[in-house]
Amino acid sequence: MKAGSTRLAFSLAGLFLLMLLLFMADMLIGSTQMAAHDVLRALFGTGSAGDELIVMQFRLPKALTAILAGAAMSVSGLLMQTLFRNPLAGPDVMGVSSGAGLGVALTLLTLTPLFTLAEGSILSGWGVILAAWAGAGAVMLIIMAVSARMRDIMTVLIIGMLLASAISAVVSLMQYFSNEVMLRTYVIWTMGNLGNISYPQIRALALATMAGLAIAFTMVKPLNAILMGETFSRTVGVRMQRTRIVLLASASILAGSVTAFCGPLAFIGVAVPHIARLLFGTTDHRILLPATALAGAVILLLSDIISVLPGGGQVIPVNTVTSLIGIPVVLWIILGKTGLGRRF
Amino acid sequence: MSRGETIAETHDLEIGYRRKRSITVMDHLSLKARRGELVALIGRNGTGKSTLLRTLVGLQPALAGEVILDGTSLHETGSAQLPRIVSFVSTEPLALRNIKVRDVVALGRFPYTNWIGTLTEADRTAVTAALEATGIARLENRSIDNISDGEKQRTLIARSLAQDTGLLVMDEPTAFLDLPSRYGIVSLLRRLTREKGKCVIYSTHDLETAINEADRIWLMTEEGVCEGAPEDLILNGSLARAFESPLLSFSISDGTFSFVRDRQSTIALEGRGKAAKLTARALARCGYTTDTDAVRKVKLLEGSHKTEWIITDGSREERYTSLYDLVADLQRTDH
Repeated sequence: MKAGSTRLAFSLAGLFLLMLLLFMADMLIGSTQMAAHDVLRALFGTGSAGDELIVMQFRLPKALTAILAGAAMSVSGLLMQTLFRNPLAGPDVMGVSSGAGLGVALTLLTLTPLFTLAEGSILSGWGVILAAWAGAGAVMLIIMAVSARMRDIMTVLIIGMLLASAISAVVSLMQYFSNEVMLRTYVIWTMGNLGNISYPQIRALALATMAGLAIAFTMVKPLNAILMGETFSRTVGVRMQRTRIVLLASASILAGSVTAFCGPLAFIGVAVPHIARLLFGTTDHRILLPATALAGAVILLLSDIISVLPGGGQVIPVNTVTSLIGIPVVLWIILGKTGLGRRF
Repeated sequence: MSRGETIAETHDLEIGYRRKRSITVMDHLSLKARRGELVALIGRNGTGKSTLLRTLVGLQPALAGEVILDGTSLHETGSAQLPRIVSFVSTEPLALRNIKVRDVVALGRFPYTNWIGTLTEADRTAVTAALEATGIARLENRSIDNISDGEKQRTLIARSLAQDTGLLVMDEPTAFLDLPSRYGIVSLLRRLTREKGKCVIYSTHDLETAINEADRIWLMTEEGVCEGAPEDLILNGSLARAFESPLLSFSISDGTFSFVRDRQSTIALEGRGKAAKLTARALARCGYTTDTDAVRKVKLLEGSHKTEWIITDGSREERYTSLYDLVADLQRTDH
């Protein structure tokens, strides 16, 4: 027992080191060729003005965002999978990202004219984040209501997808009636980008992510009980109503904040918790939660590095890379020997 | 904490569901269970066994009346206190992979651990004791998906035991198990009541083990609930009334139900011992009652290695080497 927990602690530390390494690697690689020592010098404020601009204004925020967004989306997925007892649950699969997107679209396409039209004035603030939380939370509540009635995993997933389609239809309608400037702001957002984020936005994202993760971490004990089923949880004293609301709030804050700033990030939320389970061989959320957060950061950093790698100054959208990593994992869950038999 | 003390009782309890309007499943339930007792809840499908158990452990509210656990009414028991009085094993299947038997059992310590669920030395001791009492200590590091259904059920019972409650309630713990596992589980439950002084209330469709092993039976019928020792319920006829149907008849002497046979004809049986008993059984299954005055007669020839049968009906004699052939031939000639 003791030996096992030491091993797990070492694995977590290893994953953390890997994250730091990839963080550095992500800073070294970009569409502009730059030597390692130039990057370091720029980081410590002794580099050339041009290098400093690239590193401090583009590479550092992007790498920081990758860590925050990867951790937040993955933990959001983990919470949803446990809460809905559904291995294919995740913020993007179940329409939660779309819900957050609707919140953003509503703010960008309707509120922007009310304030200044300068880009970023609203995007930088908490307005967008709050709207994304509300949108994500609303979809969460709908999914919750559905899954309370429908025990079947497939039904809940299909309803999530229908919800996502319905929301994108509403957003299209809004785009149709909005003007060019608003549309441009919105379209840039939908591209799903880790790079277009300012420091105030990173601060907001960091605060929201920390808050979401902290809330999630206070729930590891009930999360472990929920794995045994709702009846068991209630008979050992878990207050289900309260627990559900706290978990949904945490998952909405995490997924909503990321979606607000980075656009809809595909497949990270559903795939990473499974990778963490596979790596650590445990269902204990005390381990699984930090493991999922770290693995999410690692995988999004890796995706970002890969998205730059094709060379020649071309950068492919990070969503493409996360999909290419995530889809095989989802396929493995569906086709695996346990299938979708309500198992983790 | 002494044996024999009442741990669960209901007073004029009404169970059911509260939707737009209340749906009563059963009312006027006044039942009792004591420490050290094995209580079997039996009744036909749809009589509300699960509803009663769920009401008893506080998973659904009573429509009227009250449940008193360990001297305190369920209304007054706090949500932190209840898990230390009663534990529950439901029919909810385990939807987990990749979790060790020991870790499942350790979740039973939930009401006692801190906010993050750290197991103290006392918790570990309780888990080990529960694993040993249920006979699965050797499986503790096995994954839950690599053990048999009977062992899974034992794991859930161990989890319940680790919760360290005086009252253990289980909804059909022997469903879907094969015969030896079923007996294994019930004798385990009985041992828990004898050796640990627990009160175990379990619902079951397995009448025979319930009648043979339980100290008390709660019998649910559409008219209401009777309780008492199994023999009381046999004696006053309520068991027979609850389950008898045109196809089943109840035997008071051994407390079992058997199929009602169409009696066709009589046959005499000559022989002794196990082989004769089994021959009588095979004949009864096909509708023949044994009668020494019958014209037709089955005679057993017991050799040192094998048994043979001869049927005589005055004129003819036929020899058989198996009961199957004998019975098949009898039925062929009679139809």
